[in-house]
Amino acid sequence: MNVLSIAILTAALLLIVTGLYMLVRTYNMIRIIIAVEVAMKAITLLLAYAGWLNGQTALSQAFVVTIIVMEVVVAVVAAGLAISSFRKNGDVDIRRLNKLNG
Amino acid sequence: MSAGMEFVLLTFMGLPLLMVLLNNLLKKEIAQKICLSLGIIAGIVQMAAAVFVFASLKAAGQTEADFSQFWDLGVGASRFSVDFFSLLVLFCIGMVITAGFLTAGKTLGDKKFNFTNLAMILLLGMNGIALVTDLFSLYVFLEITGVASFVMISLNKEGDGIEGAFKYLVMSAIATVFILGGLAFLFMQSGSLQYGDVAAALSDWQYAEQPALLIAGFVLVLVGFSIKSGVMPFHGWLPDAYQSAPAAVSVILGGIVTKMAGVYALLRLTADIFVNVPVFNQILMLLAIVSIVLGAVAAITQTDFKRILAYSSISQIGYILLGASCGSAVGLIGAMLHFFNHATFKTTLFVNSAAVEIATGTTEIEKLGGLQEKMPVTGVSSILAFLSTAGIPPLAGFWSKLLIIIAAWQTGNVFIAGLALFASIFTAAYFLRLQRCVFFGPAVEGLEDTKEVTGGVCLSSLALSAITVGFGLLFPALLLFLQGQGLI
Repeated sequence: MNVLSIAILTAALLLIVTGLYMLVRTYNMIRIIIAVEVAMKAITLLLAYAGWLNGQTALSQAFVVTIIVMEVVVAVVAAGLAISSFRKNGDVDIRRLNKLNG
Repeated sequence: MSAGMEFVLLTFMGLPLLMVLLNNLLKKEIAQKICLSLGIIAGIVQMAAAVFVFASLKAAGQTEADFSQFWDLGVGASRFSVDFFSLLVLFCIGMVITAGFLTAGKTLGDKKFNFTNLAMILLLGMNGIALVTDLFSLYVFLEITGVASFVMISLNKEGDGIEGAFKYLVMSAIATVFILGGLAFLFMQSGSLQYGDVAAALSDWQYAEQPALLIAGFVLVLVGFSIKSGVMPFHGWLPDAYQSAPAAVSVILGGIVTKMAGVYALLRLTADIFVNVPVFNQILMLLAIVSIVLGAVAAITQTDFKRILAYSSISQIGYILLGASCGSAVGLIGAMLHFFNHATFKTTLFVNSAAVEIATGTTEIEKLGGLQEKMPVTGVSSILAFLSTAGIPPLAGFWSKLLIIIAAWQTGNVFIAGLALFASIFTAAYFLRLQRCVFFGPAVEGLEDTKEVTGGVCLSSLALSAITVGFGLLFPALLLFLQGQGLI
C-alpha cells in the first residue's frame, strides 16, 4: 500500500467521521442534510479510488455521476420536509419532532 | 424465449411508467376519478404477469430468464433477470399494491392523484430491486423506492408525517453511506459489481491482498441493509414511519416496501453473493435472533395499533433473516415462503388498522373496544392474520416458520432455534392483547354506532384472508412439489 492510497483512505474516513459527527451534534434539519452530503462525498472519493485501483475508471465514473444525481434527489426531498416543518413550527429544529416514541 | 414472454417481462418495468404517464396526461378532473383504478390495474396485471412468467419458465424447463429493457443484452452489460424467487416477490408486490390502492379510496381525500403517481414510482423502484443483477443498480432502485416512500409518508403534510419521514430519510441516508462504502471496498477487489462477478471474486477472499478492506466491505454492507430493513439494533425509524404514515401508505409500506429495500436485498446477498463468507451468515443470524426476541418484547408494551404491527414486523423480519442465515436450502426456502406469508398477513393487519381508523378515527387501542360485533369482517380477518403470524398450524405462517426453525436446528444452534420457537409465544401474547383491547369485550362509550367499512377495504381483507387460509391448506402439496424438485 503506497502513500497515496493511505492518504485517500484516511481522507475518506475523515469525511465520513466528520459527516456522522455533524449528524449527531446538530439539531438543525438543514445542517443534517449538509452532514449527509459530506459523508456521501467520502463515498464518491472511495468509488473513484476503487476504479483507479482496479483499472475500471469508466465504470467508476459512471457510478460517481449516478450517485451525484441520486444524492440531489434525496437532498431535495429532505429540504422539502425541512420547509414543511418550518411552515408548521417556524423553525427547523428537530427537537420539535418528538411526538412519536416508545 | 418466446415473444409473448419477452413482452410480459417488459410490463414489470414498463407498466408503472405507463401508468404515471397516463395519470398525468389525462385531464385533472378525470385523473382524480380514475387514478386509483390505474393503480389497481397495475397491481393485478403485475400478479397475472408473475404467474404467466412462472408458468412459461416451468413449461420451458428453465429456472431463470435474462432480459433488458431499453438496451441490448451485450457481454458484461447490465441486465435484468427473473427467477422463481423474484417472481414470488413480484407477485407479493402486485398483491400489496392492489390492497393499498383498495384502501386508499376511503382514506386519502384529495391526495389520491399524488398518491397514485408516487405509488407507481414506488412500484417501479420495488420491481427494479427484484429484477436487477448488479449491486449498483440495486442501490439506484433502493433510492427510487426510498424517495417515493419519504414523500408518501408525509403526504398529508401533518406534523407526525413530517417527523416519520424525516427520521426515515436520515436513517436511510446513513444506510446508503454504509452500503455504498461497502460496495466501494468490494469493487476494489472485484472490478465489477455484477452479482456473479462479486461472488467469484469473493470465493477466496481470505487470500486477497487486503482482507481487512473486504471485511470492512462485508460489515458496511450488512449494517447498511440492516438499517434499511429495520432489524432490531437499527430499528429506530421503522415504528415512527409506519405509525405516522397515512393509512393506505402504511399498508404499502408495512406490507412490502421495507421488506423489499432491506430483507430481499439481504436474501439476495446471502444466497447469491456471500455464499463463501460464513462470517456474514453468523452475524446475520445473531442480528436475526435479537430482532425476533426484542421486537416481540417491545410490541407487548405498545399502545398504538399500527405501532404494535410495526414491532411485530421487526420480529417477523427476524424470522426471515434467520432462515436466510442458515445457509441451507431448507432455510432459504423457509425464508422465501415466510416473506410471502408476511406480506400477506401483515398487509391484512394494516388494512384492518386502516378500517378501524376509518370507522372510529383513532388507532390508539386504549380508546377502542368491542368492535368485533360492529365490524365482523375486520375482526375475523385480523384474527386469522394474527393466528397465521403466531404460527398456528393450519394457516400459512405455521409452515414457513416450521421450515425456518428446522433449518436453524440443523445448523447446530439449538439454543437459537429454541429461542425462535419461544418467541412465537410472545407473538401470540401481544396479538391477544391487541385483539382483546380492540375487538373483544363490551363496546366503549362513543363507539356504539360504529359500522363495518364497506368497499375496497373490506374486499382486500377478505381476499388476503382467503390467501392466508388457502395457502396454508395447500401448503403440504407445495412441500411435496419442492421435495419432488429435490430442494428440501
